[in-house]
Amino acid sequence: MSARLAPRVDDPASRGFFELAANGELGVLTCAQCSTRTHLPRPRCVGCGGKNLEWAAVVGSGRAKSWTVVEHQVHPLFPVPYTVVLIELDDEENIRMVGHLPGRVAVDESTEFVVDFEDLGPDRNGNATVLPTWRIATDNG
Amino acid sequence: MDDRWQRDVCAIAGVGQSAFSKYSGVSVTALAADAALAALADAGIDPSEVDGVVRNDMDLVSCAALGDAIGAGNLTYYGEAGPGGSGPCAMVAQAVAAIMSGQAKTVVVFRSLNGRSGNRFGLSAELDPVIGGAETFTEFFGPYGLLSPGIFFALIAQQYMNETGLTSEQLANIALVARKHANNNPTAQMYDRAMTLDDYMGSRMLSTPLRLFDYCLETDGASAVVVTTTERAKDLRQPPAIIRAVAMASGPRPQPGQMYPVLMRENPLSMPSRYCAETLYTRAGLGPQDIDSAQLYDCFSITALLQIEDYGFCAPGEAGGFIESGQLEVDGAMPFNTSGGHMSEGYIHGMNHVVEGVRQIRGHSSNQVAGASVSLVTSAPPPSTAALILVSA
Ligand SMILES: [Zn+2]
Repeated sequence: MSARLAPRVDDPASRGFFELAANGELGVLTCAQCSTRTHLPRPRCVGCGGKNLEWAAVVGSGRAKSWTVVEHQVHPLFPVPYTVVLIELDDEENIRMVGHLPGRVAVDESTEFVVDFEDLGPDRNGNATVLPTWRIATDNG
Repeated sequence: MDDRWQRDVCAIAGVGQSAFSKYSGVSVTALAADAALAALADAGIDPSEVDGVVRNDMDLVSCAALGDAIGAGNLTYYGEAGPGGSGPCAMVAQAVAAIMSGQAKTVVVFRSLNGRSGNRFGLSAELDPVIGGAETFTEFFGPYGLLSPGIFFALIAQQYMNETGLTSEQLANIALVARKHANNNPTAQMYDRAMTLDDYMGSRMLSTPLRLFDYCLETDGASAVVVTTTERAKDLRQPPAIIRAVAMASGPRPQPGQMYPVLMRENPLSMPSRYCAETLYTRAGLGPQDIDSAQLYDCFSITALLQIEDYGFCAPGEAGGFIESGQLEVDGAMPFNTSGGHMSEGYIHGMNHVVEGVRQIRGHSSNQVAGASVSLVTSAPPPSTAALILVSA
């Protein structure tokens, strides 16, 4: 794929996610006090209400919870068909990420995914823009 | 529940709609004025008596502009609710709150949009190659092509199918009943367009498992209602549709942002409508067995289906069987969207559902439920939601 729709990486609420992605890590906001994961990011821990939250690396693998093959184009940068997958992370409770696969991809609840990191180049302010992307896991990883 | 809700104090005294079309050729303010003036004429209230207006947060028409367009008096109350399709029943609730607190006596509630010829929801006008920020959290969704409500609800539908075994042939019943009802409603956009199961199954797949006919009908149009005290409404031109109860709900931990973050909730299928139903039925002193018609928000077929369970018409996970057993028909257990709803009457973002709820109470629906005296009307879940129950005098 050539031109890409890039995420804004410098928003105060979510920039930690993209800072970790630039290091090749998948980040989830995590409470220093009770270890609860808070995704999407919030100003307070959803477990204890604490304010001491840090972006911590989590496992870069998961399993499909839901999926859709998009056949009707809604954006010029996303030619159809493509497949959107809602991926539930391994070893976590109800932490999900979204994946994109070009074309019509057969997915079911047993389909396993692993994360990759795609460098989309610096944004207009020079911030690294690295997007965690997901591919179907194969036996050799 | 420690609840100080007071039943039956306010009523909908008038309803009105503009023409529904794919190309109105007029401004949204003109459409809103058509609907509001029709509602006031229906009630027999002079526009100069309007002292309150409630709008939708996504409407392009301000309360003041609507007041100006219809010749309202000095507005002593103006408010708005949303987000978007979650708004209409909450907008009526806000009119009730204004009246019960003494801030206004005659409140117009409206929604107006050139939803087909103007800003279309399904099309991304966002040509900036960078998406997200400003706590929209779309930076977690847009870069993966999750860019429309249709794609979002397709993921919801697929998860529901995974968990319950719902089939496309079952889901079709939502669209088929809505179309059948629209075929009897001369003002519906799909009045003269019959639909069969073959038509549905053969319609274009837009985002699996959702087909074209699982989607609502983008529409140019406006709907409005006039809310006042029940005491006053009883002396007006039409029999009042008494507001037995209103309710709003976010559910616990609704997530920040709007629609897409719902996928990150503890369970994406757990909609705020479940919480809204509990509050609503408690306030009303009624339950699903008392509802004569259900005007359920239906931006997509799956959206309506989830609410059938949440409002207690069948057990969780059993909506597929429920909707294929004829229960959505006028003589069924839950007469559904009797104007045709969003899928076949027109997409006025939930406001046309309020109008149809009133018609049923008055006995004026084109798919009238015999002896109807209780209407349930709901607004969009997610991200938050609202609903109301209307009763006859
Ligand atoms: Zn904590």
